[in-house]
Amino acid sequence: MTSKLFATLLALWMVVAPVPVMAQQPATNVNPRHTEEVASPQAKPGEQLETARKNLARLTDLLTQAKDDDNRLAELKVEVDATAKQIIATSVATRPRLDEIKARLTELGDPPTEGTPPEAEVVTQERKRLLAERGEINALTGTAEDLSIQATKLSNGITATRRALFSNTLLKHTDINRTTVMDAIAAISVERETFMRTIGSWLTFAWSFKRLQLLSALFLSLCAALVLLAGTRRVFSPFIHREVLNEPGYITRLSVAFWSTMIPTMAMAAFATTSYFFLQVFNVLRPDIAPIVSVTLAVCVALLFVSTLSNAVLAPRQSAWRLVRVSDGSARLLVWSISAMAVVNGLDYLAGTISEVMGSPIVLTVFKSLIASIIIGLILMAMSLIKPIVPAGATLDSQGKPWPRAVWLLFVLTGATLIIAGLSGYVGLARFVATQIVMTGAILVTMYIGVLTGKAVAKQNALADTIVGRYLEKRFRMEQIGLDQAGLVAGLGIYALVILFFIPLILLQWGFQIADIQSWAYRIFTEIKIGGITISITGILAGILLFAAIYVVTRWFQRWLDGSVMARSRIDPGVRNSVKTGVGYLGLGLAGLMAISAAGLDLSNLALVAGALSLGVGFGLQNIVSNFVSGLILLVERPFKVGDWVVTGTTEGFVRRISVRATEIETFQRQTIMVPNSLFINASVGNWTHRNKLGRSDIPVTVGYDAVPRQVMDTLLQIAAAHPLVLKNPEPLAVFTTFGETTMTFELRVYLADIVNGNGVRNDLRLAIYERFREEGLGAPFPRDELEPEEPMPELALDAPAQQTAAAEAVGQPVVTEPVKRSGTQRRPRRVSVEAVGDRD
Amino acid sequence: MKAFVGAFVLTVVTAFPAWSATVTNKDGEAAVLVVVEGESRMEVAIGAGGTESICPSGCFITTPSGDRIGLQGDETIEIVNGSAVVK
Repeated sequence: MTSKLFATLLALWMVVAPVPVMAQQPATNVNPRHTEEVASPQAKPGEQLETARKNLARLTDLLTQAKDDDNRLAELKVEVDATAKQIIATSVATRPRLDEIKARLTELGDPPTEGTPPEAEVVTQERKRLLAERGEINALTGTAEDLSIQATKLSNGITATRRALFSNTLLKHTDINRTTVMDAIAAISVERETFMRTIGSWLTFAWSFKRLQLLSALFLSLCAALVLLAGTRRVFSPFIHREVLNEPGYITRLSVAFWSTMIPTMAMAAFATTSYFFLQVFNVLRPDIAPIVSVTLAVCVALLFVSTLSNAVLAPRQSAWRLVRVSDGSARLLVWSISAMAVVNGLDYLAGTISEVMGSPIVLTVFKSLIASIIIGLILMAMSLIKPIVPAGATLDSQGKPWPRAVWLLFVLTGATLIIAGLSGYVGLARFVATQIVMTGAILVTMYIGVLTGKAVAKQNALADTIVGRYLEKRFRMEQIGLDQAGLVAGLGIYALVILFFIPLILLQWGFQIADIQSWAYRIFTEIKIGGITISITGILAGILLFAAIYVVTRWFQRWLDGSVMARSRIDPGVRNSVKTGVGYLGLGLAGLMAISAAGLDLSNLALVAGALSLGVGFGLQNIVSNFVSGLILLVERPFKVGDWVVTGTTEGFVRRISVRATEIETFQRQTIMVPNSLFINASVGNWTHRNKLGRSDIPVTVGYDAVPRQVMDTLLQIAAAHPLVLKNPEPLAVFTTFGETTMTFELRVYLADIVNGNGVRNDLRLAIYERFREEGLGAPFPRDELEPEEPMPELALDAPAQQTAAAEAVGQPVVTEPVKRSGTQRRPRRVSVEAVGDRD
Repeated sequence: MKAFVGAFVLTVVTAFPAWSATVTNKDGEAAVLVVVEGESRMEVAIGAGGTESICPSGCFITTPSGDRIGLQGDETIEIVNGSAVVK
């Protein structure tokens, strides 16, 4: 068994061992040539540095070329940062060799000074060689140092360039006057011609040379779109279908709004991506056409997004589904104006790209953007005239009231700002603001709806009331609790989706590049720095996963050991339980340790804390530790096992579970009591079923003085002998125990093979005694004439003192309470509680 | 269970490595290190027995003995006899 355990642990270790290494040192892969380099000193690092130098030179060149391309700059910065890291890693890798050299030099000692005997030639040679190598390493590190400075400068330079670029595009000023307008108008016709010609030539080219590819690309992307459309319709129909209901619930409205925006947009985005991808793969696109196609597709996606969203929120045709309370007419107008703004903005971008590709003068782009911003500004100002507010109590199809003052002012001011900014020459700014109003606004609204949906879905029992909930209930027969939990998970999932999807979208809108977001995400997941502490989310996640995995494996192993190995080895159940529990805690500890080291935490820091903790243990945790240690002792010593009938202090019952801090005892009333383990170690514990279950059970019998003691004892013995569960050996005893004032007390002592049955046996015996004594006219504890007629006194007062006292009170005569004998250690079950149970049961 | 959670949290909190390089001067006299971090090259003086935290994100240092070493940023370094011992 031990060898199996060992083998399993070994296997476990081999499986998990590489994981902590990976998780702990994400940077190890940068300097893997640790051993090789000892063999061929400094050649490898030198080469690496040379590569880094070339890399930096190349990046510097690229930087000058890409001075105006923000996207490219962001990518370059990522590369430069990686190179800087690489440079440091290279020089870190030379450190062990330097340490070796230093150690060896110390061993060799200083060169002999004048007057001391000369040292061996070998030593001098070696020192020389080592010193040379040390110098070489230092020179290399010096180079690395310079390169690192260069890389950092480059990286900071890129950041500065990007900042300048951003403010330039935003705040670039173009004079808008007659000449520029005339120039622009002149340029329009030129551009149109060029555009027509380009498109025409491309179409001819594609049709005559790439017909198959063009058609197949279109076919494939159409197929993809159809599949997506049909698939999403089918799968998500409960999410996006709007039934003609009188009053759909708030969650239903929210989620339908959210999903009916998200799903078509996603489908459209997927279609756009696949079609662009296929066109690109089949080489149908030319460099001059590709940007136009991609921008067209992107604009289509954005338009679809904005229009579905505004339709979803405002629902101009189905007022029951409207999320905001605006009147029918104004809902239509609002949808119109929002869509119009989106269209104008999208066309502006498309036109800008076309101008860029066609190489039109910059003034044309400026002119187009100017017109677009003026139109958007006008639309905004027109929107301020809409009267959407429905007074409380009025129906949605009634005439609305104007916007509140603040909103009205906001519309007018924004519109005016756009127009003024455009006309005064800050077209870039105007365009940026217009885009933000349309796109960021739409994204924020979607996010808000998404968050609301998540919140509503995660509410208790909210999912069960929705269409999806009813569907799940019907289809998968989910219970209420399951549905509730599913709702919570769905809510959290929606939150995650909203955050992961929309925040990058907004950042992209604001001029950040994908490369930026990637590097941020990477940094968030690998290293979050707070002061001097670095937290790695991936490391922690890996730790948690590892912990869960080892824990599951431990449980499985525990079950296997218990069920398959120990069950057949006829080990004592107590040992079995101890081994099982021990293995469980061992696995837990092992999992904890591995998880901690996988999470990249340094256990050596713990030593310090353990010292500090011992003081704390002395005071605060004393009890817990004492119980813990007691638990371990219980597992080893095993004074009782699960299922035993134990008595300690005031607690008596069956042991149900022995865990490390406390032991679970179930009393006869089925109350579960957690007894701290230290109680079992420090106090005496009675165990009725320790080695065997044999036990003695006593029944006191009280009779009046008119009975014949010998006859009573004989009868008692006969009754005992007649009971099948009473042991013949040791044989039952009948004892005359007490002379009372008016009664004699006898005791019938019987031995039972299983003391747990004592209750039932005693009950049977008492019944039998009562019946026999009555038949034979034995014993009458009280003079009959004193009995009250309506309450026939039992001839035998059974041993329960309470019962006796009650009887005595009823009779109005004091009865000698039967002295209940207790041994000092309470090594017998207290009958009171046993009988109380018996009475209740 | 509460105790376990408490112990776990304590473990996590205490075992988190301080991830900037820590330099301790074990010599009897002050050591002057040249630290190159980012674009700047600066001199950091560490008194006898003193400890400093430098460069959280990788740097190069030149020790009083004249050796140059690169640091990843999570090391613990001791200055012994003017030269650096990386633990």
